[in-house]
Amino acid sequence: MIELKELTKRYNDFPAVNGLNLVVRKGEIFGFIGPNGAGKTTTINMMGGVLAPTSGAVMICGINMQDHPKKAKSKIGYIPDRPYLYEKLTGIEFLKFIGDLYGVDEDTFLNKSREKLRLFSLSEWADDLIESYSHGMKQRLVMAAALLHDPEVIIIDEPMVGLDPLVINMVKSLFQHLAKEGVTIFMSTHTLKVAEDICDRIGIIHKGSLIATGTAEDLKRDIQNKDADLEEIFIKLTEE
Amino acid sequence: MKDVITLLRPRFLSFKNKGLLKNDSGRGYKLALFGSIGIFFWGGIFVVSLRVIGYFKEIEGLGDVLADKLLSMVLLTLFSLLVFSNILTSLSKLYLSRDLSLLNSMPVPSYKIFIARWMESTLDSSWMVIVYTLPVFISYGIVYGAGFFFYGNIVLVILILSIISAGISVILNMIVVNFVPANRIRNIFIFIGLCFFLILFFAFRFLRPERLVDPEAFSNVLFYLRSLKAPAPPYLPSTWAFDSIKATLSGHIMQGLFHTMLSLSWAGVMVFSAIIISNAYYFKGLSKAQTAQVRLFKYKYSGHRFLGFLTRPCRAFMLKEIRTFFRDQTQWSQLFLIAALVVIYVYNFNALPLEKAPIKTIYLQNLLSFLNIGLAGFVLITITARFAYPAVSSEGDAFWLVKSVPIDLRHYLWIKFFIYFLPLLVLTEILIIATNILLKVTPFMMVLSTVDIFLLVPGVVSMGIGFGAAYPDFKSENPAQTVTSFGGLLFMMVCAGYVGAVIIIEAGPVYRIFMADVQGKVLTVFEWVWVLGSFALVFSFSIAAVMVPMKFGEKRLSKMLI
Repeated sequence: MIELKELTKRYNDFPAVNGLNLVVRKGEIFGFIGPNGAGKTTTINMMGGVLAPTSGAVMICGINMQDHPKKAKSKIGYIPDRPYLYEKLTGIEFLKFIGDLYGVDEDTFLNKSREKLRLFSLSEWADDLIESYSHGMKQRLVMAAALLHDPEVIIIDEPMVGLDPLVINMVKSLFQHLAKEGVTIFMSTHTLKVAEDICDRIGIIHKGSLIATGTAEDLKRDIQNKDADLEEIFIKLTEE
Repeated sequence: MKDVITLLRPRFLSFKNKGLLKNDSGRGYKLALFGSIGIFFWGGIFVVSLRVIGYFKEIEGLGDVLADKLLSMVLLTLFSLLVFSNILTSLSKLYLSRDLSLLNSMPVPSYKIFIARWMESTLDSSWMVIVYTLPVFISYGIVYGAGFFFYGNIVLVILILSIISAGISVILNMIVVNFVPANRIRNIFIFIGLCFFLILFFAFRFLRPERLVDPEAFSNVLFYLRSLKAPAPPYLPSTWAFDSIKATLSGHIMQGLFHTMLSLSWAGVMVFSAIIISNAYYFKGLSKAQTAQVRLFKYKYSGHRFLGFLTRPCRAFMLKEIRTFFRDQTQWSQLFLIAALVVIYVYNFNALPLEKAPIKTIYLQNLLSFLNIGLAGFVLITITARFAYPAVSSEGDAFWLVKSVPIDLRHYLWIKFFIYFLPLLVLTEILIIATNILLKVTPFMMVLSTVDIFLLVPGVVSMGIGFGAAYPDFKSENPAQTVTSFGGLLFMMVCAGYVGAVIIIEAGPVYRIFMADVQGKVLTVFEWVWVLGSFALVFSFSIAAVMVPMKFGEKRLSKMLI
């Protein structure tokens, strides 16, 4: 479903992401963790088609993002770490805007938008301008918008930032449910507990390179400590 | 004082660190370009002032009155501009800046934050006004042969005037912020300022100052000016500045110093009053400014049959653009300005005293009509600069959405193009057709100017969108100001060149056709080749003007890091 082939991004001479190779299967939840500045957001931006790689390729459902960006993007629900939106639109107008760009027809839109607004507890605010929303509400609205067109792949950067515990719980269940239905989820996070709870596999990126991938058990084996939790694994693998 | 300097340090450091940006290789060129333009304008103001004041001085008996009146008007205008500019800047700096939460969480008294911010806002809002009024005062010194003291005093007087203006503005803001949310005040002040400007503008225009060139009317004006010796209001700080400048100009140093010191003492009063008031009210006002806006309207969603004939992405962006525009109150004032511009533009043609001109009316009408294509072109450039150029930058931090949705940048830019193309085409065609009707031009000129505008509008709009995409500023708090950047300047220069080139290419052939029409002659084969060649050149030029900037914008925007 997602395939990264020798994915590289350089900012001038600095390699932010260095020859990343990775395959995330259909219906899998993949957690992407790493220290600040390790290259997580750069990787996610390249996967979402927001940033062009210096070399290498991003394949989404077998479609090369560089060669067919429009086709590849239509398969993705992309959720960035900071929910910057059009502040002068209302919540429902924003959903309609996104729906139109992804080609969601009017009837489907009416049903889906109502369903997503209810799911993310935004129904009451649907006709208010986004500028009056809190950070958490904006984050929920971006999530609702990303799910509107039933994406086959969800790419999400720091999903839980700004969300309250109730919503975090709901989002975790939602991701597990979507994965069961065959949606591939790639999420970067600093909340190691979330990664440990819901991810089938975890990848650790450090200084632009993927230094470890596997299930929590695989990673424990890597550091030869079967009682370690993800935090200990993370510290052990990324310490200088 | 140490705290205040520490608070000001990030500003100095960010200014100093501008040169550290690795990607900013063209900084030297940009500085040179902006510097040259700045010096050019400064020189222009200096030359014009020198000539006007010199001319006034030569008018026996009346010259000094006129020069005094001009000085008093310049000072009053300077003072009003400083107050207005300080109101807007101090409101942003003191109540709306993004870093205020961070600053207020620091163990620093709020009055010190106030002082640091106030100093910054005074400097930001005053320096340009001061720099560009200095040549007027220097001209006075040169024309009246003032001594060295005059020039030193001028600097002091203007600095004092800016401190007083900053004091008045900030005290006014601190009071009003307690009753109206800060972001609304800004819009209200902009609106009031604009209305004031429009009233003055219309009043001045409808007085028909062109009558001054009429000798009969001029004698009446002179008589009126004799009565202008009435003193300016003594309670205005600009009057104190005037008294000081006037005294030093005529060599009365002590008298000048007295007025300067009088102003200085008031500036001191303003500074201390502002600090005392800030200690009591600034933080309260700031807390009010940070609360969420009260919802004025609810926008009920009711499906979209509107613009249903467009493709889905096109309709999505067009609706987004229209809603964002009309829900942003700061944009409304711009619409008023455009309406005023159109009214005055058309009125100017109505008020032209063509019958009094020494050239035959039919030539003049058609010559003006031809030149009017260029004039309308420049109006078009101005409006495009204000609306179409910032169209890409106005996406702001939400630009990630454009990059992540399944629509390519080319398509996105063309949608933006059509959003602005249609209204601008209609507006410019109205301008050209209305003025042509007033000028009573020949059918040939009417067709020519209508077709020319039809060719010019897409080129200019494409340059606006293209250059705006090539040099976007997604971080700008006010995208409308992005046109003052390097890219904006480049856009205006290229556009002006394009409009100018079209006029020059067409001038010869149009003259031949017009003369042949008036004199009832037939064009020669050579003239036909020339005419067709010129129009074909203009046509291909216009096609290139549409395609090249869009391609350029798309290429640069796709490489941009967000």
